[in-house]
Amino acid sequence: MTGQLRLLASVAARHLVGRRRQTVVAVSGVAVGVGFFLAVSAMMIGSQNDFIKTLIDAAPHIIISDELRSPPPQPGISHYKGAAVDLRHYKVRNEVRGLKGWPEILRAVDAVPGAIGSPSLSGAITLRSGGREEALTVVGVDPAIEEKVSTIQDQLRIGRLRDLESTQGGIIIGEEMARRLGLGVGDVVGATSASGKSRSLRIVGLFKRGQTQISSGLGYVLLREAQSLLGRPFIINRIGVRLADPYEAEPISRRLEARYAYKAESWQERSADFLSLLVTRNVIMYSVVSAILLVASFGIYTVVSNSVSDKRRDIAIMRSMGFSERDLQLIFVFEGLALALIGIVAGWLLGYGLMAILGSLKFPIAGEDQRLPLDRSARQYAIAAAASLISGVIAAWLPARKAARVDPVDILRGAV
Amino acid sequence: MSAIIEVQDLSRSLPGTPPVTLVSDVSLSIQPATFVAIVGPSGCGKSSLLYLLGLLDRPTSGRVLFNGQDMNSLRGDARARIRLASFGFVFQFHFLLPEFTALENVMLPMRRLGKLPLAEIQAKAQALLEGMGLGEKSAKTPDRLSGGERQRVAIARAIANDPALVLGDEPTGNLDSQNSARVVEMFRNLAHDQGRAVVCVTHDPDVAAAADVQISMLDGRIKETSVRPR
Repeated sequence: MTGQLRLLASVAARHLVGRRRQTVVAVSGVAVGVGFFLAVSAMMIGSQNDFIKTLIDAAPHIIISDELRSPPPQPGISHYKGAAVDLRHYKVRNEVRGLKGWPEILRAVDAVPGAIGSPSLSGAITLRSGGREEALTVVGVDPAIEEKVSTIQDQLRIGRLRDLESTQGGIIIGEEMARRLGLGVGDVVGATSASGKSRSLRIVGLFKRGQTQISSGLGYVLLREAQSLLGRPFIINRIGVRLADPYEAEPISRRLEARYAYKAESWQERSADFLSLLVTRNVIMYSVVSAILLVASFGIYTVVSNSVSDKRRDIAIMRSMGFSERDLQLIFVFEGLALALIGIVAGWLLGYGLMAILGSLKFPIAGEDQRLPLDRSARQYAIAAAASLISGVIAAWLPARKAARVDPVDILRGAV
Repeated sequence: MSAIIEVQDLSRSLPGTPPVTLVSDVSLSIQPATFVAIVGPSGCGKSSLLYLLGLLDRPTSGRVLFNGQDMNSLRGDARARIRLASFGFVFQFHFLLPEFTALENVMLPMRRLGKLPLAEIQAKAQALLEGMGLGEKSAKTPDRLSGGERQRVAIARAIANDPALVLGDEPTGNLDSQNSARVVEMFRNLAHDQGRAVVCVTHDPDVAAAADVQISMLDGRIKETSVRPR
């Protein structure tokens, strides 16, 4: 059986060699399709991965805050479940805001393999220096833990997060804020909280300008400093969680929220609008790129179709020799298959080359030379090959059916 | 002697208004080791009869029996298999595959049949070509052979699988008299020395004269059958 297939394939190969120019054109069509599919999808997926990585890294993978998605039911309503009770004018008990029982939540977070939770307390304060006042959201953190959870360390122009521990009353603010206050590292600034507490803080570090929104309106202090400044000892209102696998954020956040009722927001939830944008982008990319591959298969259709019409006489003689309809159909499908396969291999090389060129280009972004983020995964090569192979075989199969339907008698009669 | 191929009340017409009758109520049987010539004017249905005998076409009515087996009930691929193993065609125009050398053309039906290992197939094809006086030319492609040489390659290819029946459709129609005589001689040898049945549709009186049986056709019917004593 394999010998038979080899025979049919060798006939197909001879046909292709006999029409070299058309073969080269069809193969180049597939190669260009596959090559550009690889280059374009490498850029699109590469930039998408880069973008998602930025999204993931910009903040902790999960943020547990002291908010509730729905207000807790009133005791009266939960007590008389299903009763026709309508309580109005009840007095709302004033509760201290913050994550209640946070050490337990933190333990639960740390119990997830590979996960680290960093507790923090944020609140509004006013910075005052030489008659200038600036509003600031101050975040109290444990530098040793926060370092592992967020990328703050990378965003510092001057100083380190750990400097908060070594300096009494240290604070890290944005470069912009420092400029507005006319201060620099080592200077002392007055801070007043909403509860009226006031103290002097020493600037130990500065965020890079324009890096993210955190740079202008945020300031970092030690957790206990924030707790005392904001008058909320032992209280935290946020736990940032970093996971070993960011894509686990969704189920883990749901589990945490189900257990503790506090809002646990995954990075996917926070960036839902961006992520849906990426889906649109992918749909656009794949439709454009599959169009390229589809058009490439038209070349295969043309070659095989021409081959069938040119070889009608040979088809008749082979039929008379005892080749079956299926044999003839296979010969022409093999032609398409061969064109597709050669095109795919050439396209892989082309794509590899294009990626090498794209990867070597440097683009000056924000003063730094950056390279294009490229995704060079084997998956893209496989997708391009599979798509070309399938469309190529279909493109060959359509005219190949015509070959099987050639009636040898019609040809022989016409020729004699 | 039992017939290799036998047809009973065979008719073939093309659909249309009115239908065109190609072959009408033909019955005949063909014995092994016999050279049969079918003659008649153009359009008398002799080629159509040959295609029916060669299982390339299906009759409108009537039966074709090969070794006593009814061929009408067989599917296309089974008929192709019989053509491959038991029939050999030689046409007016040599009909060699242009991309293959003479040797490869002769090897094709044997490779398709797949009964012999490739080395034996190649040796047999070479021997067949040598038998045709073409041993030197086996590596040439058809476009580098003369008309007579091509027809001899075609004959070698037709008998590659040792067919019981060799069918010729105006095999000398395109050849000069010298090459014609040579082909006729080969056909006689195929029948008399190798015991095959040879059926040849021809206009050529020399071919007809060399045949053991001469069947004259007119308007799709057999007009006359004459047997020449050997």
